[in-house]
Amino acid sequence: MTDVSVAGLTKRFGAVTAVRDAGFIVTPGVTGFLGPNGAGKTTTLRMLLGLVRPTSGVALIDGRPYARWEQPRRIVGACLEASGFYPGRTAREHLAITARLAGVAARRVDQVLDEVGLTAEARRRVGGYSLGMRQRLGLASALLGDPQVLILDEPGNGLDPAGMAWLRGLLRDLAAQGRTVIVSSHVLAEVAQTVDRVIVMHAGTVRFTGALDELAGSAGLEGAFLQLTSDIAREGSRP
Amino acid sequence: MTALFSAELLRLRTTRSVWLLLVAGQVLIVVGVSGVMLDRDDIGSPSVQQTAVAHIGLISLLSLVLGIMAVAGEYRHRTITDTYLAVPRRGRIVAAKLAVHAAAGLVFGVVTASTALAASAVWLAVRGFSLDLGSADLWLTVAGGVAWIAAFAAIGVGVGALVTNQIAAIAAALAWLALVEGLVAPLVGDAGRWLPFALGSALDRLPTAVDGPPQWQAGLALIGYAAAFVLAGVATTLRRDIT
Repeated sequence: MTDVSVAGLTKRFGAVTAVRDAGFIVTPGVTGFLGPNGAGKTTTLRMLLGLVRPTSGVALIDGRPYARWEQPRRIVGACLEASGFYPGRTAREHLAITARLAGVAARRVDQVLDEVGLTAEARRRVGGYSLGMRQRLGLASALLGDPQVLILDEPGNGLDPAGMAWLRGLLRDLAAQGRTVIVSSHVLAEVAQTVDRVIVMHAGTVRFTGALDELAGSAGLEGAFLQLTSDIAREGSRP
Repeated sequence: MTALFSAELLRLRTTRSVWLLLVAGQVLIVVGVSGVMLDRDDIGSPSVQQTAVAHIGLISLLSLVLGIMAVAGEYRHRTITDTYLAVPRRGRIVAAKLAVHAAAGLVFGVVTASTALAASAVWLAVRGFSLDLGSADLWLTVAGGVAWIAAFAAIGVGVGALVTNQIAAIAAALAWLALVEGLVAPLVGDAGRWLPFALGSALDRLPTAVDGPPQWQAGLALIGYAAAFVLAGVATTLRRDIT
């Protein structure tokens, strides 16, 4: 049982407030982290992972900031949109470097390559990979430390329909093992079939946290989501 | 830290530009040595041989680029996110890169020195002379050239940590060596002897290095530059948002 909790989290980049007083708790299961582009999802996740320093507030993994864990990759696996690969390296080499940095046994490299279905391509240079294959490699990297918490930023980008189905299965399996999975997406339909709970962000603030069914209510899922994320006029009048 | 060293070593080995720089260094050193050996008629003289071999130190421009790419290259390819996710104590990463790249610079230097000596010996043999291996000056230059290459690799790691835009960092570093230091030196008088390229020249006992500090002082001063850049790089790295 590993929880992720965020309280009073705020990030300002100069004059722009990317995240304002965000708060939520995520428990085991799959949680969808939703909101349109620019809602502050990625900045929130990066603060949770110690990559971006909050202006104020706290973001904790199992009660401790990410950067305070001795070997955080064994607790949290993350796959972020902007993380890249050196094109001249093979997938195996890339994962072997990460495994060494993370203090993870080298045999895990072949295991995670198998889990994401990249074994046959493991000795090819990443420069020749399709977007979908890179996405799988990012997931392999997140799984390397066999972590209890997974934070996946737009993991469906670049996956074909078969890849999406595979991803949904993977997320369900991870949740069934009692892990805490956070999946961000700006496409509601993409995660609606997979998630148990949702957090909706818009314009830097958290608009909803709760069960997927609660959000759907009477207006329907799509309607509720659009209502939460389209009140731009009201937002503009806030201080 | 052992795991970090081995990770950085694997990263270094699997970076293609590292091997390109090493090969380019060997081509350049052969060209540099050959220039002297073909041009001069008095190549039997130990001082001329020393002049030819002193080209070793100039390869430090390439090891500087190597060091810069160690950190700034990770920002360029956005692998830095994964790296800091694995090791949030960023200072440790910079320290591991510093150690591995200073060692790599040393290897780069030894390989380059071997190529320089071999190329010199071949040219001398072709023209009926031989390399004066008993000359202390020759070996002081070889040692100084190797040290210059290693020191610039270390400085490069600091520069790359400070200026994480790879293109900007490399352009600024090379502009300093090719142009800016020469413009600044006359303005600062005696202090000009303590600027990086002047120190390297003194360390390498380049013929163009006049009035430079003794070799050991030049070496220590370059280590000081490396320490200053790395500390400044670490200080900014700890605060930087990785977006």
